[in-house]
Amino acid sequence: MLQNLFAHYPYERDRYDELRGRDGKPRAHWERVCEELGGLSASALQARLEGVARDIRDSGITYNVYADPQGLDRPWQLDCLPLVLPAAEWAEIEAGVAQRARLLNLILEDLYGEQRLLQEGLLPPAMILGHSGYLRPARSMQVPGGIHLHHYAADLARSPDGRWWVLSDRTQAPSGAGYALENRLMVGRAFPDLFDSLGVRRLAGYFLALRDALLHYAPEGDGPAQIVVLTPGPFNETYFEHAFLSRYLGFPLVEGGDLVVRQERVWMKTLQGLKRVHAIVRRQDDAYCDPLELRADSALGVPGLLECARQGTVLMANALGSGVVESGCLLGFLPRLCEHLLGEKLKLPSVATWWCGEPAARDDALEKMDRLIFKPADPARSFEPVFGQDLTGAARLEFKARLSATPHEYLAQETVRISQAPSFTQGTRLGGRGIGLRSFAIASPRGYVVMPGALTRVATQSDPRIISSQRGGGTKDTWILAAAQSQPSPTLLSERRPRGGAVITSRVVENLFWFGRYAERCDDTARLLRTGINALVQDAGEITQALAALAAREGLEGLPARGTRPWCHAATLDSDPAGLAVQLGHLARVGFGLRDRMSLDNWRVINRLMQETALGRQLSVAESLEWLDRVIIALMTVAGFAIDGMTRDLGWRFLSIGRRLERLAFVTSAIDVALDECSPENLGWLLELCDSGVTYRARYMTRTDWGSVLELVVFDEANPRAVDFLLGGLVDYLVHLEREVGYRGVQALRELRARLAVLHSEHPDPDHRLFRTVLREVHQGALELNDELSGQYFSHLGGFDLPTLAP
Amino acid sequence: MSSATVRYKVIHETRYAYEHPVSSGRHLAHLSPRDTAWQKVTNHQIALIPEATERSWATDYFGNRTLRFTHETMHRDLLVRAESEVTISSQLPGWDPETPWDRDAMPPGTRLNDDPALAEFRLASPHVPLIAEATDYARRSFSPGRPLLAALHELTLRIREDFVYDPLATTISTSVAEVEAKRRGVCQDFAHFMLSGLRGLGLPARYMSGYIINERAPGAPALQGADTSHAWVATRCPVSGWIGCDPTNGKFADTEFITLSWGRDFSDVTPLRGVLLGAGTHVPKVAVRITRT
Repeated sequence: MLQNLFAHYPYERDRYDELRGRDGKPRAHWERVCEELGGLSASALQARLEGVARDIRDSGITYNVYADPQGLDRPWQLDCLPLVLPAAEWAEIEAGVAQRARLLNLILEDLYGEQRLLQEGLLPPAMILGHSGYLRPARSMQVPGGIHLHHYAADLARSPDGRWWVLSDRTQAPSGAGYALENRLMVGRAFPDLFDSLGVRRLAGYFLALRDALLHYAPEGDGPAQIVVLTPGPFNETYFEHAFLSRYLGFPLVEGGDLVVRQERVWMKTLQGLKRVHAIVRRQDDAYCDPLELRADSALGVPGLLECARQGTVLMANALGSGVVESGCLLGFLPRLCEHLLGEKLKLPSVATWWCGEPAARDDALEKMDRLIFKPADPARSFEPVFGQDLTGAARLEFKARLSATPHEYLAQETVRISQAPSFTQGTRLGGRGIGLRSFAIASPRGYVVMPGALTRVATQSDPRIISSQRGGGTKDTWILAAAQSQPSPTLLSERRPRGGAVITSRVVENLFWFGRYAERCDDTARLLRTGINALVQDAGEITQALAALAAREGLEGLPARGTRPWCHAATLDSDPAGLAVQLGHLARVGFGLRDRMSLDNWRVINRLMQETALGRQLSVAESLEWLDRVIIALMTVAGFAIDGMTRDLGWRFLSIGRRLERLAFVTSAIDVALDECSPENLGWLLELCDSGVTYRARYMTRTDWGSVLELVVFDEANPRAVDFLLGGLVDYLVHLEREVGYRGVQALRELRARLAVLHSEHPDPDHRLFRTVLREVHQGALELNDELSGQYFSHLGGFDLPTLAP
Repeated sequence: MSSATVRYKVIHETRYAYEHPVSSGRHLAHLSPRDTAWQKVTNHQIALIPEATERSWATDYFGNRTLRFTHETMHRDLLVRAESEVTISSQLPGWDPETPWDRDAMPPGTRLNDDPALAEFRLASPHVPLIAEATDYARRSFSPGRPLLAALHELTLRIREDFVYDPLATTISTSVAEVEAKRRGVCQDFAHFMLSGLRGLGLPARYMSGYIINERAPGAPALQGADTSHAWVATRCPVSGWIGCDPTNGKFADTEFITLSWGRDFSDVTPLRGVLLGAGTHVPKVAVRITRT
């Protein structure tokens, strides 16, 4: 089997092979992996790979690709075969990455402080001061603990001689650590025995250390330390990771609009009022953090945030302005800076890189351009990297002219023939792919701690020289083997504990409310369509007339009383904004924004539904009914999670209110339509819509009659789809809100319920005028409750910050 | 040209009438004159109506005085009234007429031994890209070895001749390239254009924000940019220090120029910038009154 495994594995003399040595045999640290793979039959291996792929799809691990219109929520690209690195080799990388983080932190301290490096001629002033990442307002900032760089990532690649080189540094808001952890969870599950027997180093301690360090450095005051993760929002390429880290670390996920500055401190908006924020793990770029002092057009920022950072009342991880040392221009200066600032030799070399702004460097770069890759000098003027060797004829001349005209916009970097690692390329066939490592470090009171693992990034198939998730490259888990004497896991340093109990921002509460509404609306719509299609199939003309009328009230225009096609369309096509497909889309979108609040299982249910091939396709009647059944079951599962899997906090209450309010509006609408045409046929569909057929038959055993149906769908306080039950529940929730967050307006619903109770004793029939009026008022009351809640709790979120300038 | 020392009182009022009530507003003001070798601030205060919930003074990256203030109570109008008294002495006599402009001029580069305080002002900045048209335009007055003072004088005069003062032609976001193409604009546009030209030649050049006094002899043309805030340029001479010149009016900046702040361009020293919650459309009304005391 081992022979088969290697049958297609390429051998290239001029690149380093992670798996095999020059003798063609697996390197020592790969032997166990080869044995394990060799011992598996192709079908067993196939099953494992499929298991991982399914896991990824179901968990909804995504990476958003901006350039691709279908790129939003693209499944994460993970190759199951981990990259294995031995302890000794890792120790060198670890020391090098930690040293580099320490060095970059000192450089930042100087650039935003005394600027001695500029004055003493160790760095060209123009290079730093001309970089868009140098934030002048951030100079003389009081950063807690003197730490600018709380977390750091280095992109590494291995040259043919086996040495590791740094390609670039990530210092602003490095991404990938969360994906690395997610990869571990997936791959660890695929090869559990192998993972255990090899003694792979664990990642959990790294994240604990991060939490611990942030607690240690966070400023004090206004209660226990509150740390948040600041995200630009669900459209960001790595939003999945923001939500994942937030959930894993237990820090609320916030957007700029959730935070506000008062008394030069940062606060989080919650329904219980403002809560002090002590530290912000930001996944947002510098320039967008404060529209007052940085980019005025940023709708994502927090006005006044920069001043808080300057005063040191909030810890920013990383400090504002730390993006300036991401500049590739810096790479060439690091060896000297390292000796100057640390008195040490730079342990991890950078790939040779020059700024073309310097005339000598520019001329040199033009001369040997075939060996170079050209990149933007300033991330603000970004363009796709250009390989000199790819340029021929006119394109080559054109590029040379462009570079000569604006040389300062270019960086030239030597190309590295990156190493190759085994990878499952086609099914279980073992191929080779170029790889690079993204290694991570965090600042701790005992120095920088490097994650004992990494995100291995895999080159794209189309161009083996490029490693980019934006361009479709993949990733791998990275297994670092423990040394013979394994290090004890780090003990926690900080006595400080984060704020207990979950704090929910107002935005999350609003999203939960809408999640409840959309979930219920989808359920209502699916039931309505199912009932309609069933009736059409049975050719019950009168019934479908009433159902079409109800559908129209719900916004589904033009569903005919004859012909199933439009009804089936409304179930899967997104042409109708009130159709099921669009409503499910809304539900998924709101749910996506709640990723940090929702259990993985809950999310999986929705995610599976959204990945059904039925969506967007024209289905037959039978297929449509099957699809609607699946939707209804999935939605009942989602509802079940809310009942069985959520803490009864404010967020849950708003979700439940959203759900009940939506259902109440729907049920009252349906009853009203049914009573308009009070033929006995209408009773049947009403019972079906209200999911009350079984109860009805069990209870009454008779022919359907109005009195008993109304008893069941209006007055029954035990039937979860009856008007009285829904009203009663809403009143209960609102009483809680009254107590917890000062809700005003419970009385209106209480009175409606009391009037309904009076009518109950009169046993109203369909022509009972007052009864019909009260039912309509209940319908109206449900809609007004929505406005009331929006007005009292959500409206302040709707405002946006407007920049203003005066001469 | 001007008497040796002059005293002024300046009142700079900015009035906002918002379309919708503002529930939260946060401002950063560069409305305070700074002390310089030629200017002493004897009195300065900023009044706010309604009074701010919080306010704090600070010094920015370039050494300018700033005031930050926030309003957390609902308001529909805002008045910001800056009142300053300054004494200004002429610096013209100290300027050396001989130093050639290209003595220390150098293009921005990786040069390590550059003075960071000057490198800053040789580089492109958010509102001042270094465009070839501006450099070529400037170069016509900057022949090799020509004294800086003479070259600057000619350049400011040429800009005043070639460009039309037209407040309707441009906005705050009009680019230097557009101003160059239209040959129209206001003081801020001319200053940005001149900065682009001077920096393109390798000269450190600052954006100056302040006021100009509209005192004219009978029959002389009115100065542009009076009765409001004004902007001009200062260029670094290795012997004379910073030389102020006003391309809008074609003259050196002497005792009729009151300095508030300086920076790389307008974005560093915007007199009043803010972020409002609510507001809707609003246009500030700015009035500046200067009296000689």
